[in-house]
Amino acid sequence: MHQQTSETFDQNAREALADVQLRGALRNLATTFGGRRKEAIATVEDWEGLRDRARAAKDETLAHLDKYLEQFADNAERAGAQIHWGRDGAEACRIVLELIRARGASKVVKSKSMATEEIHLNHALEAEGLAPVETDLGEWIIQLAHETPSHIVVPAIHKSKRQIAELFAEKVGIEPTDDVAVLTGAARRILRRQFAEAEVGISGVNFGVAETGTILILENEGNARLTTSLPRTHIAVMGIEKVIPRFTDLDVFLKLLPRSGTGQRLTAYQSLITGTKRRPEDEGPEELHIVLMDNGRSRMLSHPVTRQSLACIRCGACLNACPVYQQVGGHAYGSVYPGPIGAVITPQLSGLKPAAQLPYASSLCGACREVCPVKIDIPELLLHLRAEVTEGTAAGTAAQHGPVKQRPLERFAFGLYARAWSSPTLYLLGARVARLLQGVVVRKGRIGKVGGLLAKLAPPLAAWTEWRDAPPLAPRTFREQWRDGQYREGN
Amino acid sequence: MFEAIRGHLAASAPHDAVRAAHHAAAAHGEDVSAREEKRATVVFEGTAVERFKQALEAVAGKCFVVRDEAAASEVLRRIAEQRDSQRVAVTDSKLAGRVLKLAALRSEVLENAAVESLFECDLGVTGARWGVAETGTLVIESDAERNRLASLVPAAHVALVEARNVRHTLGEVLQAINERGEGGLSRAITFITGPSRTSDIELTLAIGVHGPAELYVVVIEGEGNG
Ligand code: SF4
Repeated sequence: MHQQTSETFDQNAREALADVQLRGALRNLATTFGGRRKEAIATVEDWEGLRDRARAAKDETLAHLDKYLEQFADNAERAGAQIHWGRDGAEACRIVLELIRARGASKVVKSKSMATEEIHLNHALEAEGLAPVETDLGEWIIQLAHETPSHIVVPAIHKSKRQIAELFAEKVGIEPTDDVAVLTGAARRILRRQFAEAEVGISGVNFGVAETGTILILENEGNARLTTSLPRTHIAVMGIEKVIPRFTDLDVFLKLLPRSGTGQRLTAYQSLITGTKRRPEDEGPEELHIVLMDNGRSRMLSHPVTRQSLACIRCGACLNACPVYQQVGGHAYGSVYPGPIGAVITPQLSGLKPAAQLPYASSLCGACREVCPVKIDIPELLLHLRAEVTEGTAAGTAAQHGPVKQRPLERFAFGLYARAWSSPTLYLLGARVARLLQGVVVRKGRIGKVGGLLAKLAPPLAAWTEWRDAPPLAPRTFREQWRDGQYREGN
Repeated sequence: MFEAIRGHLAASAPHDAVRAAHHAAAAHGEDVSAREEKRATVVFEGTAVERFKQALEAVAGKCFVVRDEAAASEVLRRIAEQRDSQRVAVTDSKLAGRVLKLAALRSEVLENAAVESLFECDLGVTGARWGVAETGTLVIESDAERNRLASLVPAAHVALVEARNVRHTLGEVLQAINERGEGGLSRAITFITGPSRTSDIELTLAIGVHGPAELYVVVIEGEGNG
């Protein structure tokens, strides 16, 4: 298999389509999570109203992000947390590394965090001789397999039970079994030892409450609770967009997030942590460090269309609902964040050039917008980014990565199209010529792969007809039929 | 970083104005009544405690509603005996202490278990500050009890909660927590809904990954004073 990056999305997707096991897993994902989500949202009275309230809370925060971040940082510090600022991924990694080093620590456990995946924190720590242990079952599986997550909620969705059993047999010496309970039990046993010895626990953050300085972490397994309460030092890595204004805003978000993500009314655990322990005899970590990370986020504030990307609460519903993700899975996107949300934030986080294919990895069907609990208009964002690709106007990215590669042929074709459709004469002429020409390629009433000839005439069209047939133009246009009196009243 | 944030927000201002105008035009004539019709009506009959029990059992927790602390201690004893518990970890919740004393278990009881010995306990007993009926959720606060790892590390967790602290909605409980938080919120507030679970392998539900595989909640109806 070639190196899967965002730049090779087309090729990645082709390979994924040929992977029968992967497609089975993705079908399972779409039906299971899709179905559970539907049942779960039926248990709240006014789902639409909740979505509106959540979005309004996010919009309010983002419009005054400086104010709310400052308030969050002040309140967290007052409660005993230490705040650090990471302008980019490298800086955030450096901060975490230095915190661990300064404590002379070597045993590090982690709970699931997309923010730390985004900045490749594990790589950064491993490069310095540390061996952080992922403790979420899915994350642990992919860590053992040296792979990357393929979904933001269920990171090992691409792996079958069988593959996992083989992996456990090879890496941790468990007898191969197809009993999920046995596999899970093995993970519990092995990871308990890591928890008992851990000196530093690293977590992500789902929400940070400005009013109180509280961080909230949702999970199902209990590993985040262990990670944030057993080790002496807790380091939480938090994107700056995770702030919400008020403590009671949590109500809305806690109703939306689990229902949208896994179809649960509430995940098994929420940890709400406000600073450090108040009395020495209390339990819990001595230190809490919160690393507030920008890494390309503040740039998204500069336009209302891109700004909505920052409202995302990483529920994964848009992945589960997306017909493209459902076919190709997460790895094809070649980015930490896959699916519809990945297609819009990856180009903004890592620059448009390496990810220029991603805004096109969508049929613009709008399923993502339908399910998004914070009503992010992902199709609008995709179009916005496509415009930036064709116009090469992506703010900030040109400077970083050089100009984005244009699609000259597409541009030419659409130019022609625009001309034709804006003039009746040209339109009629074009239609007539097209009808004459299509006689050569239509077979069985479709314009299909016979496009062999077409492909020779205009090679890029082959890509278009390889996967789909186009209906041919009617032999006589509607206008002609009208003119000849085929349509009469009562006919 | 603040500079970057403020700069980008300022750059957005003209676009925001365009968008606001656009939205104002679009919102004109939007049919609000259609939205009203789409509202599901979710009706709950019965008391908060009944609702709590139903929701908790829907997520594989077990719920016992009892008259008083003596009856609660009966339940606790039965659970400990059934599981053949050898070592029990308990928080310093007064309620949990009283019920545990009444239960007079044969097992060894660790009141202030160090982390290493916690890993050897097979049952944890705690109180809970609040119950949330709509989700079957327990809320444990660090200001109210210490040694809360008893709720997490042992394979089974028995929680005792007073019926008057079971509220209908999450919103009510968040409000209550927030109001009490004048001297600052508890450092750690934990929401627990059912036993530990994962769907990470082929989305197959497995109970009891890192946290307890069994969760028993005993709701005590009588006027407690814990
Ligand atoms: S974009 Fe919306 S649906 Fe997709 S992960 Fe974010 S919040 Fe969920």
